[in-house]
Amino acid sequence: MSELCWTPMTELSRMIATKKVSPVEVVQAHLDRIAALDGKLKCYITVMGESALAAARTAEAAVQSGADLGPLHGVPVGLKDLYCTKGVKTTGGSKILGDWVPEEDATVVARLAGAGAIALGKLNMHEFAYGPEGLNPHYGTPWNPWDAKVHRICGGSSSGSGASVAAGICPGALGSDTGGSIRLPSALCGISGIKPTYGRVSRAGVLPLAWSMDHVGPMCRSAADLALMLRPMAGYDPRDPTTSVLPVPDYAVALTGQVKGLRIGLLRSFFLEGAGPAPRAAVEAAAKALEGQGATVELVDLAKVTLGPAASHAVLAPEAYAYHEEWLKTRAAEYGADVRERLRVGAFVTGAEYLKGQRLRTLLRDEVDTALAKLDVLLAPSAAIEAPPVGQNEVRIGSETFPVRATLIRFTRPFNLTGHPAASVPCGFTAEGLPMGLQIIGRPFDEATVLRVADAYQRITDWHTRRPPLAA
Amino acid sequence: MLDRSTPGWCMPGIMQYSPAMEKLTVDTLRTLARARGLDLTDQELAALLPLVEAGRSGLAAVTDIPPALEPASQFRIL
Repeated sequence: MSELCWTPMTELSRMIATKKVSPVEVVQAHLDRIAALDGKLKCYITVMGESALAAARTAEAAVQSGADLGPLHGVPVGLKDLYCTKGVKTTGGSKILGDWVPEEDATVVARLAGAGAIALGKLNMHEFAYGPEGLNPHYGTPWNPWDAKVHRICGGSSSGSGASVAAGICPGALGSDTGGSIRLPSALCGISGIKPTYGRVSRAGVLPLAWSMDHVGPMCRSAADLALMLRPMAGYDPRDPTTSVLPVPDYAVALTGQVKGLRIGLLRSFFLEGAGPAPRAAVEAAAKALEGQGATVELVDLAKVTLGPAASHAVLAPEAYAYHEEWLKTRAAEYGADVRERLRVGAFVTGAEYLKGQRLRTLLRDEVDTALAKLDVLLAPSAAIEAPPVGQNEVRIGSETFPVRATLIRFTRPFNLTGHPAASVPCGFTAEGLPMGLQIIGRPFDEATVLRVADAYQRITDWHTRRPPLAA
Repeated sequence: MLDRSTPGWCMPGIMQYSPAMEKLTVDTLRTLARARGLDLTDQELAALLPLVEAGRSGLAAVTDIPPALEPASQFRIL
């Protein structure tokens, strides 16, 4: 298998611009690897082989002609299959939209193409993004590449994005995150992902789960690649009125490798104390490592995060129901059983309950803002557990048993409610060899500091460079 | 943290929710579902009931909301 498939996006970009490698070679290497591995991994719903190779030939001609090249010129990417792609079917991981072909690209798809990126295909996901396991009854559930023998979940809903980047069948992918759907598959698949601030990246042309909680972001193998991919994606978009007019910084400039003087809060109650022993130890070790680089670390408690499940039920469920209402009345049988049931719950949330949920969000957001007024970032585990086998519905933490689904989103959901930027980077492996994630939460629109901490951590650790057994 | 205490112009208690809500049953849920245009089987209603009840009771349990607290808005112009 070609080493090109393990080359960082930053390096691929440099190699292509300096004619050390052709975009055609890079794209072909990934298509070959998809053909070899994706029968088992089930990451792709649609492989865009012909259009990817055609775009690669055009990109190669541009390099040869000395044209101005975008920052991602010739670099392949995967698109979660809820991003509208002009002329290419966009299923949302569903049967209902199984044959839908949009007439326009989502804003971020167009922006990535404008930066020179080449779409390899559309990636598998939990149906309509409504599930943190990443299951899919219609296209098959992606296989977590960190266990070649047991079919484990990848985390969701961006399961295909997580598994494909981890397995080297795409160097970077688009995910989306309403309760943890970028950070969870990043943690469970051993890759890096960032949910930017609400309003930092346009949601136009992205199938919604819950408009006020949906976030769009990249998933890659390193913080440096996240910085490269995020910059062209971010910024005001007239097609999404919630996007910010704040200028987009060059995130790569922020990656100094330095954390000296940064003030870091380590989230204790609910987060560290609610995690299994392995994720807890891994995150505490990560905090120590950053302290060793000159950051100051203090323990922090966020009391209001316990409001998260109630607020999320009040807001997410009716927003999702509102989008799906007509299909639930006319095409209910075409949904997978879990998503159909989850969506129906939203029919029974009243307007007053919805607004109560929105008021609870204000409380939670205030509390996180207050903590970040004197700290630069917060640290927490991305998930309380490692990837369980597909079909496992309960998990033990200490002496207690919890539902897998609620446990998965426990640490990520609060920051969908508040809108703060949050990344997940690999921070260790369990005794079984399964990856764990460190969550880094920052101030609104300060993705640069989140990425700076993530990158500094990756310069002193090698968790993000390891390759899973199924992809070796 | 911002001061969310009760300002002088806000009547305390006016924004509270009643904790004494009646429990839903499969029959009441069926009526509510039909009112929303959803025709669900008994089996589907029975599966939904604990999920709906858990959500309602979780929200009802939160009673100490400062009266002046406004809903979050996604339209933060920045």
